[in-house]
Amino acid sequence: MNEAGANVKVPVVAARDLTKSYQLGEQAVHALRGVSFEIHRGEFVAIMGPSGSGKSTLMNMIGALDVPTSGELKIDGVDIATLDRDQLAGLRNHTIGFVFQQFNLLARTTALDNVKLPLTYAMPRPADPEAMARQRLEQVGLGSRMDHVPSQLSGGQQQRVAIARALVNNPSLILADEPTGALDSATSLEILNLFKALNAQGMTVIMVTHELDVASHAKRLLRVRDGQIVEDRPVHGLLEESAT
Amino acid sequence: MSLLEFLRTAMIALRRNVLRSVLTTLGIIIGVGSVIVMSAIGGGASRQIEQQIASLGTNQLTIFPGSMNVGGRQGGFGSAPPLTEKDLRAIRERVDGVVAVSGQMNNSATIVAGSANWVTQVQGASAEIQDVRDWPLSAGRFYDAIEASSRRKIAVIGATVARELFGGSDPVGTTIRVNNVPFEIIGVLKAKGQAGGRDQDDVIFVPLQTARSRLMGRVRVPDEVGQILVKVDEEHELAEVQADLERVLRERRRVAANAQDNFAVRNFADILATRSATQRTLSLLLASAAAISLIVGGIGIMNIMLVSVTERTREIGLRMAIGAKGGDILGQFLTEAVLLCLAGGFIGLTLGVGISVVVSSIFQWPVFISPGIILVAIFASAAVGVIFGYVPARRASQLNPIEALRYE
Repeated sequence: MNEAGANVKVPVVAARDLTKSYQLGEQAVHALRGVSFEIHRGEFVAIMGPSGSGKSTLMNMIGALDVPTSGELKIDGVDIATLDRDQLAGLRNHTIGFVFQQFNLLARTTALDNVKLPLTYAMPRPADPEAMARQRLEQVGLGSRMDHVPSQLSGGQQQRVAIARALVNNPSLILADEPTGALDSATSLEILNLFKALNAQGMTVIMVTHELDVASHAKRLLRVRDGQIVEDRPVHGLLEESAT
Repeated sequence: MSLLEFLRTAMIALRRNVLRSVLTTLGIIIGVGSVIVMSAIGGGASRQIEQQIASLGTNQLTIFPGSMNVGGRQGGFGSAPPLTEKDLRAIRERVDGVVAVSGQMNNSATIVAGSANWVTQVQGASAEIQDVRDWPLSAGRFYDAIEASSRRKIAVIGATVARELFGGSDPVGTTIRVNNVPFEIIGVLKAKGQAGGRDQDDVIFVPLQTARSRLMGRVRVPDEVGQILVKVDEEHELAEVQADLERVLRERRRVAANAQDNFAVRNFADILATRSATQRTLSLLLASAAAISLIVGGIGIMNIMLVSVTERTREIGLRMAIGAKGGDILGQFLTEAVLLCLAGGFIGLTLGVGISVVVSSIFQWPVFISPGIILVAIFASAAVGVIFGYVPARRASQLNPIEALRYE
């Protein structure tokens, strides 16, 4: 873990004039056209936008899966443009906890082993991965289902396993990509409440969604459209305004 | 990621599709299995031959008359002047490192004992033949030098002849008829076993002089000895003694300096050398067959690993997202390929050994599985895993995590 990670004043995510363009055949696609924002420790941010808005590109960059074409993106104070492939992997391992729409659990692998997975790639190796994984499964309320494989778990339970997996390495932020997209509304609410609880304990949560309902559970909203941030506001009062 | 975790992950992945894993390794299984069986049978045969040659004696030289070149024509045995007692004496007296020398004349004969009869080989030989051939007796005695040069009708019989004519009873002292000439049996030789596909014990020895006058038909010179067998002292270099012996014989037989020998010297070391050259060719053939089957097996492994990488693109994407480095993914798939090949190698090995044992018990063939070939089989299968697993593993490790995660 880097030194800056312990410093509360350093933003967890700091983006400045971020751009990203791809060459798609003959055509250059500008996915991001100059994005600047900061996310601080303890925030719960929803990134919203329609498909093609650039929110996926932005999320990939916050997740250190992609690097910007220009501009600067610092995660926990580290400029990701200066890192090579393996260093990015290391950063993802100890700084970011991913939660996906499709859970992405390993089939025929117990919940406990799924949660332990990030620890097998951790450097240095934790002393007791088993205990860490158990503790996280208990934290998400699955203490009694550690030996179940994904096919024996409901969608909500699978997503809880995935959240436990995201938490196991004690990351600086949780990055959730449409975490309720594959769940019914009751289960979605459970998962969102879990995120809220984690956030209340101090965890930084960034959630990408295209649903206002879901975004309204966060504290702050970033709206992305056409590769730019068009709105950056607190969520408070969001639903009431949109209803009118 | 540690090796133990690589192994654990690979085991889980392979167990997810047992049937496919087994089918994939079939090439390796068959390749390794057949090589083991072939080399076990080949090894058994060559070991048997080596033992037989050793039982004939590797410190022994045999001299034949012949190999004379007459007007560009290679004359066979018999066209050259025969070997005689004088040649034999010259060798005994003038060649260093000679322990024993014996003349030997062969003929086949029908032997009758009571109502039983048996066709065997009669060897007229000097008394020293027993020394030359290191052949102990199981009953009675061998004739001595004086008897060997007499015309006494006495015989020492081989174990096979004793068994065929007398069964369990003691033949010493009884009389047999060899080509209708009565001979008294004075001794029985211990069994020596097979050599070069021939039963060495199917033989009877009679004094050389008796053989000349009674059993060999026409003798070209009165003191003809047929062939000369020489036993060389273990301390002496066989090749040196042979060269010395050839020089003495050329001189005695008045072979001109630029002419070819009118005799031929053979030693079993030569035969052994020829044998091992043949064997090398055979092993080379075996090795290329093995290499081909392993390459074919390896292509199967590569194919299925490529399929596996494609199938598990999302898993690879996930692993990368949560912190797997390129090397971790490479190691994971390489371990899987090597494990697959090693498993195939071990199954093939077990199968090969099993089939070899069955073959040896059904056909009574000698089989020998050398520890070397087992090691080679294991290393070769591991190597196939590394070589043919590398391309798929590398492809996996270079996937873009974003695209891999989105892969349906």
